[in-house]
Amino acid sequence: MKKFIKNNGTFIALIFLIIILSFLSPTFLSARNLTNLVRQVTINGIIAVGMTLVILLAGIDLSVGSTVGLSAVVVTLLMQAGVGMWLAIFITLIGVGGVIGFFNGFMSAKFDIHPFIITLGVMTIARGLSLVLSQGVSIPVTNRTFAEIGSGYIPKIPSLIILVIALILSLIAVFKTSMEIKNGDKVRNKAKLTFGIILSIVGFIVAFYTFISYQGIPIPVSIFILVVIAGVYTLSRTRFGRKLYAIGGNEKVAWLSGINILRSKTMVFVITGVLSAVSGILLASRLNGASPNLGNGFELDAIASVIIGGTSFMGGVGTITGTVIGAIIIGVINNGMSLLGISSFYQMIVKGVIIILAVMIDVLNRRKTA
Amino acid sequence: MGKEILEMKNIIKDFPGVRALDNVNFTLEKGEILALVGENGAGKSTLMKVLSGVWPYPTYEGDIYLDDELVRFENTREAEEAGIGIIHQELNLLPDLSVAENIFLDRHPLNKFGGIKWEELYHNAEKVLSRLNMNIDPRIDLGDLTVGKQQMVEIAKALSLDTRILVFDEPTSALTESEIKELFIVINELRSSGVSIIYISHKMEEIEELADSVAVLRDGSTIGDKINISEVTLDEIINRMVGRNIDDLFPTVDFERQEKILEVKNVSVTDPFNPDKKLVDDVSFAAYKGEILGISGLMGAGRTELVNAIFGVYGKKREGKIFLKGKKLDIKSPADAIDSGIALVTEDRKEQGLLLDKDLVMNMTLPSIKNFSSKFVMDTHKERTVTNNFVYKLNIKTPSLDVFVEKLSGGNQQKVVIGKWLITDSDVLILDEPTRGIDVGAKTEIYKLMNELVERGVAVIMISSELPEIMGMSDRIIVMSEGKKTAELEKSEADQETIMKYATGNKGAE
Repeated sequence: MKKFIKNNGTFIALIFLIIILSFLSPTFLSARNLTNLVRQVTINGIIAVGMTLVILLAGIDLSVGSTVGLSAVVVTLLMQAGVGMWLAIFITLIGVGGVIGFFNGFMSAKFDIHPFIITLGVMTIARGLSLVLSQGVSIPVTNRTFAEIGSGYIPKIPSLIILVIALILSLIAVFKTSMEIKNGDKVRNKAKLTFGIILSIVGFIVAFYTFISYQGIPIPVSIFILVVIAGVYTLSRTRFGRKLYAIGGNEKVAWLSGINILRSKTMVFVITGVLSAVSGILLASRLNGASPNLGNGFELDAIASVIIGGTSFMGGVGTITGTVIGAIIIGVINNGMSLLGISSFYQMIVKGVIIILAVMIDVLNRRKTA
Repeated sequence: MGKEILEMKNIIKDFPGVRALDNVNFTLEKGEILALVGENGAGKSTLMKVLSGVWPYPTYEGDIYLDDELVRFENTREAEEAGIGIIHQELNLLPDLSVAENIFLDRHPLNKFGGIKWEELYHNAEKVLSRLNMNIDPRIDLGDLTVGKQQMVEIAKALSLDTRILVFDEPTSALTESEIKELFIVINELRSSGVSIIYISHKMEEIEELADSVAVLRDGSTIGDKINISEVTLDEIINRMVGRNIDDLFPTVDFERQEKILEVKNVSVTDPFNPDKKLVDDVSFAAYKGEILGISGLMGAGRTELVNAIFGVYGKKREGKIFLKGKKLDIKSPADAIDSGIALVTEDRKEQGLLLDKDLVMNMTLPSIKNFSSKFVMDTHKERTVTNNFVYKLNIKTPSLDVFVEKLSGGNQQKVVIGKWLITDSDVLILDEPTRGIDVGAKTEIYKLMNELVERGVAVIMISSELPEIMGMSDRIIVMSEGKKTAELEKSEADQETIMKYATGNKGAE
């Protein structure tokens, strides 16, 4: 039990946070508020999934916020110019997210420059570009369908079906992991199994209550969930994920073991760039327009989510699930404090304190086990 | 030899789940050189950590007497003040500070404003260094010295603290032959001046040459009392260390040289920091199926650079041609080399061989990751099965496949590195110092494994700084000096003197 608390510290902190807030504010647990909260988490969460991969490689990407802004501007401008919605989205994902990511990754890996510097430069360039393209003013969205992406819902009945399928899949995954453990000589982790089952069911109930009793699953949330599933699968099951852990663990060892560092690093930054573009498009759609300053400071929330989620800044250690919990914690804090009427000035201070606390706890834990 | 200066009595030290030291007893006399030997994990380092206050009193049981007086150090500083110094395997110095500053790190002579009295500092440093007969300018940066000289500075630092007991932990592992000789002279002089020395080493020749007596540790206990070196043979010491007979340290098998597998032609590498210097200078050689090719030479002779060049570490900057089974290879990176069927067990397992905070499975399947996955997805079951096989085959001692490799002992870590390259099933296996810093038992196992590989048709190339190892294991020996190949000797022509002659660049009558 002690070990369980230690390994799932952030998760337990999240539960406590939710309990406290539900006492302090009666509206916190309402389906409407929870739906809102999840939607807020989505924008940051999608970026944070990419950021997890970057930080796993002991890197950092400061340009994600500017990529969000530039993507929003580009996608709305393209549609204004008469380009079809899907084509505009596609061009933005590849032309903005993909290109920025490629530049970040290739430059830092090829010339061995710390990504902090490259992405700092790109952050400024991309922000400047969005100001130039938009001429410094907001661009309205004219396409009705486009607005649906960010603010629409999957209807209740299909939502319900999706949730049930998700529950079944997650239970299967939990059992499969436990079966694998049985086949190998790994010690069977009963606590983990029970925890997995409880988590699946609780997650299902919360999701059911939140979405079905309100308007269904918001479309951005479904996209976020897909991104998370893909991320978890990539890191835990694929060759690419394995390479990332190896490079983050010790780049030299990984290289001498035949791993193409340049390719993997570039790939990770491309993924992060594209995910940032996804967030930018969702945001433009929800706000029904793009302002050139959109996404300002988003990199900080994304990095904070990853760090609170337990990913090591030194690289090599971290999970997507941790990051999702981190993103939810940040979302809950923002949302809860707004509900309690605390000014956003204080919110910033609280967030900063939590980031430092999270890292402190992590460092102390590691020192104890070492 | 004089009176007893140190006695460690019934020392017990527990770590969670393991008893690292179990009733260790030994004594040290004034002016004695005591060799402390034992396999890796036998408890030598732990014992020295207890002695030097790294593990303070209540964390261990037992008594330490200095000059018949019970001492209980609460930190390393107290041990230093009592006159106990340690020269660690990895030097504990700051390369960007001057030699003098390193010696008197936080004990600078200060004037009344708190400024450093530099001239006095340098003068004091010169005084200490002259005790070692060392001609080192205390004003230059430590980083500009060779490793051997840096070690002398470390010794000077210990002496400046009025050290009476000086512990050397594997001091020669990074030194050249001449530096080792210099070190031994210094150690002998220290003994004559009354300093007592505890000398930890894996190298039996050194112990024979240097020590007055030997104490053996095995599994955390002292095996018998310390013995006078003149009353014991090396075999007996090794027997005590491993608790079993090692009839033959080098299990040589006679193989027949078969077809040529690897051929290297005119390989050169230019020093990236000094375009006038060649790290490897026009080296050509061939490796055959059915033999072990040894590469000998002193530190800095370019041996590691040569095999790194073959393995693609220098990318396009390497000159020369490499052929495998008659086919010309285009190796631009380690990935290319691995794909062509060349494996390299790197010299530094902690920095280049292992992902220390990852488990055995991940470490061992890394170079052959393609064989353990479909296009994208890992086959974790196959991974575990294969890893498990190799753990068993290599006799790697580990509680499970899921422990981080940093928790394993040095010998077992080395086996993991070798294992990860065996799984690639390459035609050529290059081993760079495969037995450095590992215990005798693990060494022999690695030698047997090399023979097994040769039998299976792998061309094995081994770099080693230990002459007995090179001569015991190789069928053919290449000697390098200053980046050049200076000799290629058949086993029958090779003896210590001949190899040393070519390694020092002295081509004799030729």
